[in-house]
Amino acid sequence: MAPRDPEAVEVRIKIGGPAGFGIKAAGQTLARLFTRAGYETFDLTEYPSLIKGGHNNYHLRISSEEIFSHVEPVDILVALDRDTVALHLDELTEGAAIIYDPNDFDIGEVAGVPDTACAVPAPLKEIVYEAGGIPIMRNVAALGAVLGHIGFPLDYLTRSIEQQFAHKAPEIAEQNVACASAGYEHARDHECAFPYDMQARDRDGERVLVDGNESAGLAALAAGVGLYCAYPMTPASSLLHFFAKHAEKHDIVVKHTEDEIAAMNMVVGGAFGGTRSMCATSGGGFSLMVEAFGLAGVSESAVVVGLFTRPGPATGMPTWTEQSDLRFAIHASQGEFPRVVLAPGDREDAFHLTWQAFNLADVLQTPVIILGDTYLSDNRQSVPPFDTSRVEIDRGEIITEGEVEEYARYRVTDSGVSPRAIPGLKGAEQVVNSYEHDEHGYGAQGEDTGVRIAQNEKRMRKMELARTLVPPPAYYGPDDADLSVLLFGSTKMPVREAAKWLEREGISINIMQVVTVWPFPAVEVSEFLGRARRTAIIEGNFTGQLQSLVREHCLTDVDHTLHRHDGRPFSPEQVRGFIKEVLG
Amino acid sequence: MPEVKEYTTPHKPTWCPGCGNFGMWEALKRALSQLDLDFNEYSMVWGIGCHGNGADFLKTQGFHALHGRALPVASALSLTRPDLKVIVEMGDGDGYGLGMGHFIHSVRRNIDMTCIAHNNQIYGLTTGQASPTTEHLMRTVSTPGGVLEEPVNPLGLALAQGATFVARGFAGDIPHLTELYKQAIGHEGFALVDVFQPCVTWNKLNTFSWFRERVYNLEDEGHDPSDRRAAFELSLTTFHEMTCTPDECRVPIGVFYREDEVPTYNEDATGAGDPGYHKATKPRDISGLIASFG
Ligand SMILES: Cc1ncc(C[n+]2csc(CCOP(=O)(O)OP(=O)(O)O)c2C)c(N)n1
Ligand code: SF4
Ligand SMILES: [Mg+2]
Repeated sequence: MAPRDPEAVEVRIKIGGPAGFGIKAAGQTLARLFTRAGYETFDLTEYPSLIKGGHNNYHLRISSEEIFSHVEPVDILVALDRDTVALHLDELTEGAAIIYDPNDFDIGEVAGVPDTACAVPAPLKEIVYEAGGIPIMRNVAALGAVLGHIGFPLDYLTRSIEQQFAHKAPEIAEQNVACASAGYEHARDHECAFPYDMQARDRDGERVLVDGNESAGLAALAAGVGLYCAYPMTPASSLLHFFAKHAEKHDIVVKHTEDEIAAMNMVVGGAFGGTRSMCATSGGGFSLMVEAFGLAGVSESAVVVGLFTRPGPATGMPTWTEQSDLRFAIHASQGEFPRVVLAPGDREDAFHLTWQAFNLADVLQTPVIILGDTYLSDNRQSVPPFDTSRVEIDRGEIITEGEVEEYARYRVTDSGVSPRAIPGLKGAEQVVNSYEHDEHGYGAQGEDTGVRIAQNEKRMRKMELARTLVPPPAYYGPDDADLSVLLFGSTKMPVREAAKWLEREGISINIMQVVTVWPFPAVEVSEFLGRARRTAIIEGNFTGQLQSLVREHCLTDVDHTLHRHDGRPFSPEQVRGFIKEVLG
Repeated sequence: MPEVKEYTTPHKPTWCPGCGNFGMWEALKRALSQLDLDFNEYSMVWGIGCHGNGADFLKTQGFHALHGRALPVASALSLTRPDLKVIVEMGDGDGYGLGMGHFIHSVRRNIDMTCIAHNNQIYGLTTGQASPTTEHLMRTVSTPGGVLEEPVNPLGLALAQGATFVARGFAGDIPHLTELYKQAIGHEGFALVDVFQPCVTWNKLNTFSWFRERVYNLEDEGHDPSDRRAAFELSLTTFHEMTCTPDECRVPIGVFYREDEVPTYNEDATGAGDPGYHKATKPRDISGLIASFG
C-alpha cells in the first residue's frame, strides 16, 4: 500500500451496499461537508448498471494537502451489507474501522477480517425506527457514525441536513438530525482509535466540488451554447440532466432526441443557423452519430461533440471506464476532413478545454471532439472555482448582421476558412451541403475534378491552421527525470499522484499529457521522448492506441507500457508499482 | 415580391424529362412568390435522392442534409431560428425509410416547419429499388418477386400521431399543389404535404395517367378538414390492389386534416424564442452557478 504523506491528514472512507440505497448521495454529503471544512476531497463511485441490487460503493479520499486522484486504501468502511465487508477486506488499512449494523450480520462470521480492524457496531435501522424516520435515513445515521468515529464536529452534518431540507418539511430535517446524532453517539461510545485530531481547517481560497461533466457543462454555458442535444447514455447522461436543469435560466434549447443520429444531425442544423451547438454521448451513441459527424466535416459545421468512453464494444460495461476510443475519435467517418480532438485529464481541463472547443469549432468551422471517460465524467473533486475571466468567445469568420454581396459560402481561401454568413442575411444564398460542392455549395458541380480538389484542399488546409491554434501538451515534473511518462486523458490524475509519492521516495518522473490528441503533436512528443532517460506510456486500453500513434507519427517507440482494460481506472498504487518495477 | 423565375439558380434541373419533380419545383416557386417570401426569409432543407437534387435548382439559404436526416437538421434550425420559415423536402425512401423515426417524432412534437414528401413510391436516384411506399406486390430490381410488405401510410401515421396539418398533393396539378404549399407554409406547427410525384423512369405503375384517372379533390366532395376520424378513414386509400381500376381506387388529394392554434413545440421549448447566435456574443455570467457547487 501507498506511503502516507507524513505532513498530511488523510482519511479514506468507503460506503458500500446494495444499489438503490442512495449510497452516492450519502457519500457526496460527506464530500461536501469536508470540502466546506477546509479539506481536499476526491471521490470514486463504482456501481453496476442496475437500479436495485448488485454492489455499489462510494470511495471518498479526504486530505489536508493537494491531491490528484483517488487511492485504493480504506480507513473507514461503512458496510451497509455483509458483502461489502467481504468485497473490500483487501483495501483495509491497519486499524481501519468497520461501521455496520449488528442487526444486518454478525461481523465475527465474516471470514478474513483482519485482527487490526476495529468493529464499530451501530444499530442503524433501530436508530431510524426510534427517530420515526424512513429506511433511507440509515445512511444519515451511518454518516453520523463516521463523524463520531473520527471525532469531527457533528454540526457540519446537521447544518448541511438543515440546509438540504430547508424547503421541505421541518420534521424530516429533525428526523435526519436525530439519526445523525444517534449514529454519532454510538460511534463515540466505541472509541476505536483514530490516528488524527481532525478539525475544520483554514485553507487558501474557495473550493467547488465538481465532476468532469459538470465542469464541461459549466464551460459550455460560459461559452454561449444555445443548443444541446443528446440521447441518454452513461456516462454522458448527467450532462443532459445538467443542461436540462439550467436550460430555462440560461435560455438554451435542450433536446432529448429520439436517437443519437437525430442528436448529431440536430447540432449540425443548429450550427448552420449560427447557434453554438453541442451533443455528447458514449461510444455506442457516437457510433450512431458517425455519418453526421462526417457531415459536419464536409459541410464545415462548427459543432462540439463530447465522447465519454466506457468499455466497449457495443453495450460493453456501461458504468465503468476505459480509454479505448482514442483511435475511434480520430478516425470516425468515411472520407477525410479536418477535426480536432481534445482530451481533458481532470476537471480543470474539462472546463478550459470545453470553452476552447467552441472557439476552435467556430474558427475552423469543423467538428471538435472532447474525448473523456467515465472516471472523469462521474467523479467529483474539490477544485478552486474555475477562472471564468479566462473564457473568451471567438466566433471566427462569421457574419451575423447586415448584408452580403457576391457571397460564396465555400470561397476558396489561403487559410481554408471561408467567411460564414448565417441564413437570414440578405444576399447570403447558399447550400450548406453533405455532397461535395462548389464555392456556392452547389452539389452538381462538386463532381468536377477541379472543384473537388479545390474544396478538399481548402478544407484540409484548416488542419494546418488547427495546428497553430490547438492547446499545447501539458508537462509535469522536472526536466530531467528517471522516467518520462507519456499519457492522455484521465490517466493524468493517478500518474500525477504517483509521481508525488515517488518523489518522496527519491524517484523522479516527468509527465507529458497529450492534451490535443488530434492533430497529433508529433514534434513535441518526439522531443519529449528524445530527451528522456527512459520512457513509458500508460493508457487504459488493450492495444496501445496512444503508443501506435507515437510509432506512426514519431517513428519511435517507448521502453515500457502499462495497460488496463478491466473497466477500472488506474490507481496511483498500480502506477507506482509499475514504475518501481521498470526502474528496477 | 420576387417573381417566380427569380427563385431559380443558375443550374438547370437534371431530372429526367417528364419527371414529377418539375411540377413540384414549379408549384413551390409559385407558392414562395405568392407568399412574398424573400430569399433570406425561408430556409430549405433537403434529404438525399432525386428530390434532393432540387437543392441545386431552387434559390435559398439552405442545407442539403444526409439521406433520411433532413428533419433533425430542420428541427434544430426551426428551434434556434424563430425568424426563418423552415421547409423540408424529403423522399419517400429518405423520409419514410431511414428517416421514419425522425418523421414520427417531428410530427408528435409539432415542430414549426413544412415537410414536403416527394412520394414517387420508388428509389429514384439509386435506380429503381422498392421504397417504403411502393405498392404491395410490385416488382422492382430489389424485389423481383414483388414487394411483400404493405406500403407505409404516411398520412395515417401522421394523423395517428396528432399531426396538425396533413395534406396530399399531385405533381400533375400545379395550381392545386401551389395552394396546398401556401396553406402548409402558413400553418403554425408541423405541416405535412405528401405529394404523388410520378417517377417516369422507374415506376411504370404509378404514372401521371394512372393518377389522372384516379385523383379527385377533397374540397369538391365536401370533406371536412377538421374531422380527424374522417381524415384517417381517407388515409386508408393508401392500400389498394395494384390492378385496381380507376373507379375501384380513387385517390383523394387536398387537405385531409388541419387544426390551428395547437401550441407548437417551439412555443413551449426553453430557449427557442430568440435566435441562438444572440446567446454567444459575450461569455455568459455563470459565477453564481459555479458558486452553487461550493
Ligand atoms: C446512408 C445512406 N444509405 C444509402 C444511400 C444511397 N441512397 C441515395 S438516395 C437513396 C434512395 C432514394 O430514394 P428516395 O428517398 O425515395 O428519393 P428519390 O430518389 O426517389 O427522390 C439511397 C438509398 C445514401 N446516400 N446514404
Ligand atoms: S429517376 Fe425518376 S424521380 Fe429521378 S429524376 Fe428520373 S424520373 Fe425523376
Ligand atoms: Mg422516392
